[in-house]
Amino acid sequence: MKAFLPLWKRELQAFFLTSIGPVVAAFFLLITGTHFWLLASRLAQGPADGGLTAAFFGSPVFWLAMLVASPLLTMRLFAEEYRSGTMESLMTAPVSETEVVLAKYAGACAAFLLLWLPTLSYPFVLELCGARLPPLDWGAMAAGYLGTALIGASFLALGLLCSLFARHQVVAAIASLTLLGLLLALGSVELPARLDSVRHLAPVLSVPLHMADFRSGIVDSRAVTLHLSATVLLLFTSIRILEARRLR
Amino acid sequence: MADADWLIEVDQLTRRFPRCEALGGISFRVRRGEIAALLGPNGSGKTTTLRILSGFLAPSSGRVRVAGCDLQTHPLDARRRIGYLPESAPLPLDMRVAEYLAFRGRLHGLRGRHLTVRLREVADRCGLGDVWRRRLGSLSRGFRQRTGLADCLLHEPDVLLLDEPLAGLDPAQVQAMQEWLIEAGRQGAVLFSTHVLSEVEPLCQQALILNAGRLAAADSPERIARASARLRAELFAPADRLAAALEALPGASDIRLQPIADGWTDVGFHSGPEELSGSLEDLAADHHWPIRSVRRESRTFAEAYLRLTSALPIVKNPPQRQAS
Repeated sequence: MKAFLPLWKRELQAFFLTSIGPVVAAFFLLITGTHFWLLASRLAQGPADGGLTAAFFGSPVFWLAMLVASPLLTMRLFAEEYRSGTMESLMTAPVSETEVVLAKYAGACAAFLLLWLPTLSYPFVLELCGARLPPLDWGAMAAGYLGTALIGASFLALGLLCSLFARHQVVAAIASLTLLGLLLALGSVELPARLDSVRHLAPVLSVPLHMADFRSGIVDSRAVTLHLSATVLLLFTSIRILEARRLR
Repeated sequence: MADADWLIEVDQLTRRFPRCEALGGISFRVRRGEIAALLGPNGSGKTTTLRILSGFLAPSSGRVRVAGCDLQTHPLDARRRIGYLPESAPLPLDMRVAEYLAFRGRLHGLRGRHLTVRLREVADRCGLGDVWRRRLGSLSRGFRQRTGLADCLLHEPDVLLLDEPLAGLDPAQVQAMQEWLIEAGRQGAVLFSTHVLSEVEPLCQQALILNAGRLAAADSPERIARASARLRAELFAPADRLAAALEALPGASDIRLQPIADGWTDVGFHSGPEELSGSLEDLAADHHWPIRSVRRESRTFAEAYLRLTSALPIVKNPPQRQAS
C-alpha cells in the first residue's frame, strides 16, 4: 500500500484545485449557513423541541446537504480520469486496484469531513450570539455526528461506484443523486399494499429513521452494521469492476 | 543470447474484444539496447499491443514478459520496470509540472532526496526547466509530450513503451525526440508505435509490422525491405506453362507474367527472403527454357511496408495473367 498516501493526497488536492471543489464547498457552506440561520431564528423564539441536536440533524436542510454533497464529491473520482485519459497512466503505474479505489474513497471521505468540520462550531457561535440554548446533550451530538459520518460513508461509496460506471462526471452525479434520493424516500413514502415485502424492509433500510435514532443519542448496532456493510460491499464491488476493466 | 538480454518477450499474444479480434497470436522479442518500431495501419492492433505490454489491458491468451517479469503473475513488478507514454500523453491539467512529476515519482516508490535528484535530472533531460512551475493545462502539445516522457523516465525503467510519440510534434521537436529515443535505447529497450516510416530506418534495429492483428513482419527495416524484393526474368517459354511451373516453386508469390515478343515472356514474382534466382535457373534448365535476363528489383522499406499492409490479400496465384 505504498501508493495509497500519494494517491490520497492527490485526490484531496484535486478536489480543492479543480473548479468543482470550491463550487461544492461554496454550495455546501450556503446550505449549512442557511441551516445555521434557521436554527438561530428558531432558538431566538425559545428552546427548540427535542434540543439543539434534534433541530440540527433533523431538518430538511441537513438532508439537502447530505444529498448534494456526496454526488458532488464523488462524481469526478473515476469519470474524469476516464474522460481525460489519465486512467491509462494511473493504471499502468505500479498501483493495485485496491489502492486506487481506497485512496480515492479516502480522499472523498476527507473532503466530506472537512465540509462538515465548520458545523462543529455552531453551538459555540450560537452561545456567543446570546441564544438561549437548552443544556447541550454531548452524547446525542456525538451520536449525530457519528450517524452523519456513517451515512456519509455509505453515500460516498455509492457515489464512487456510480463514477466508475459513468463516462462523464455529470452523469455520475445524476445517477448517484437519483439512487440516494430513492434511498431517502424509502421509509418516508407510504408504499402500496402489493409491495408488502418491501414495506417490511423499508424501516430497516430507511436512512432518515437511522438518523432519527442517532440524533436521539441512540447508536443502534443494526444501523451501524448496515452502513458499514454497505460501504464495504460497494467498495469491494468497485475494486472488482476496476480489475475486470483490464479484461474488457 | 542470455534470457536477461530480452527485455520484451511476447509469445502468442491474442486479444479479443466483444465485437472483434484485435490481436491474433503475435510473438516477438526486443532485446536490451534495441529500439523497435510498431507499425501498421489504423486499427491494426498497435495501441492494443502497447496497452497489453504496459499492463493496462489483460491479454485474452498468450504470455508477456517484461525484463524477466511475467506481466500476468507479477503485474506490479513488471509495471515498475516499464515507462509508458499513452497516445497524446493525457495529463491532469489542474496540476503543475513539478507537482505532477513528484506525484508520479511517489507512485513509483521514489521518496526524499532520491526523488528530488531524479526530478532535477528528468527536468534537465527533457528541457522542462522553463515550465517547471506552470500548470499542465497551459502547456503546448510539445511540452506536454515532454512532461509525459519525463514521467516515463523518472523511475529509470528498463523498458519504454511509447504510443505515437512523434505525432503532432513540429520538426524541431521530432528531431529532439529522435535524439532522445536513441539515448533511451542505449540503456534499455524502446518500443514505440508510429506512422512516420521515414523515422524507422535511421532509428530502429527492429520493425514490427502489424496488419489486421497479425504480425506481418518482425525484422530489421533493411531485411524487411530486402525480403520484399521482386525477381524479374525474361524466359523463352509459353506463359501458361511457365505460370504453372512458377506456382510450384516454393517461396514464389504474387507472380505476374507478360508475353513480350517472339515467344519470350517477362516474369516477375515476389521471392521473399530466399534467393530464388538459382531455383528459377534450375527450373528453366529442367524445362529447356532459355533465360535472357535475371535481375532483382529492390524495394524501399516504405514500399515493403505498403506491400505487407496492403488491403489486398497476398495470394499465390497471380491476380492478372495474360496467356500467350
